[in-house]
Amino acid sequence: MSSVTRAEVLSLYRRIFRIARSWQAQSALQHDTDTERRYIVQEAQTLFRQNQQLTEQESIKKCLDECNARIEIGLHYRNPYPRPTYLPPMGLATQKGRKFRGQQKLRKQAKPVYLQSHDDDT
Amino acid sequence: MATRALTQCVRSLTRSSTRLFQGSVIARSSSALLFSNDRSFSVIGCTQRTRGIEQSRISQLSRQYGGLPPLTIEAITERVMYVLKLYDKINPENLKASSHFMKDLGLDSLDQVEIIMAMEDEFGFEIPDAAAEKLMTPAEIVQFIADKKDVYE
Repeated sequence: MSSVTRAEVLSLYRRIFRIARSWQAQSALQHDTDTERRYIVQEAQTLFRQNQQLTEQESIKKCLDECNARIEIGLHYRNPYPRPTYLPPMGLATQKGRKFRGQQKLRKQAKPVYLQSHDDDT
Repeated sequence: MATRALTQCVRSLTRSSTRLFQGSVIARSSSALLFSNDRSFSVIGCTQRTRGIEQSRISQLSRQYGGLPPLTIEAITERVMYVLKLYDKINPENLKASSHFMKDLGLDSLDQVEIIMAMEDEFGFEIPDAAAEKLMTPAEIVQFIADKKDVYE
């Protein structure tokens, strides 16, 4: 198990910036291209800063997997926004609220790798 | 009036094209094109006239290339400082040529990556990762760019 180095993380960061430099939106409108370029840069900045303080190897690796997954998915579908997912069946509690532990675990398990940094359970 | 406009267009076309192609091939082809036009008598006369003028000017032909003005160390330093001042996480008063990004200006490695990307955008050439990680002061960046661009070796 090789440890993740700072150089790898920084080269991923650089890779995202280079992708953003030559990004073309699928709709080919200049306005969309500019918005999406700005979105890619902002998203990278916020998520990298948010996860900057992690120290465990597993969580860092998970974040790297998330980064790679989002890059691959974004390049493939020509869409930088994360793909939305459905809630798992029986994943939301009754009208009383989202308090049940089993369902929280189910939702956490069903979250795909590229949404790990996003906290949707408010 | 239409023929006058047409003659002006043809004259400028033949002038610029003979400057590039060193011959009256284009003038001949453009006049051949205009032959099919019914109102072309005065136009053909004009092209023949310009052909004569252009041949006398062939000796003065010069190729014009595009290019950037030559870089000097002062110009590079000025541009690097300008880009750094525009970066919002840097305080412009603290900025000197020897201020270290991490120790003096309090930036971290992610900010340093962003700064190097901004430099790549400014100067238009890619900086490889291994070298980019070591550039920690504006003076080093200027030195690196001067090495890459062969300025005042």
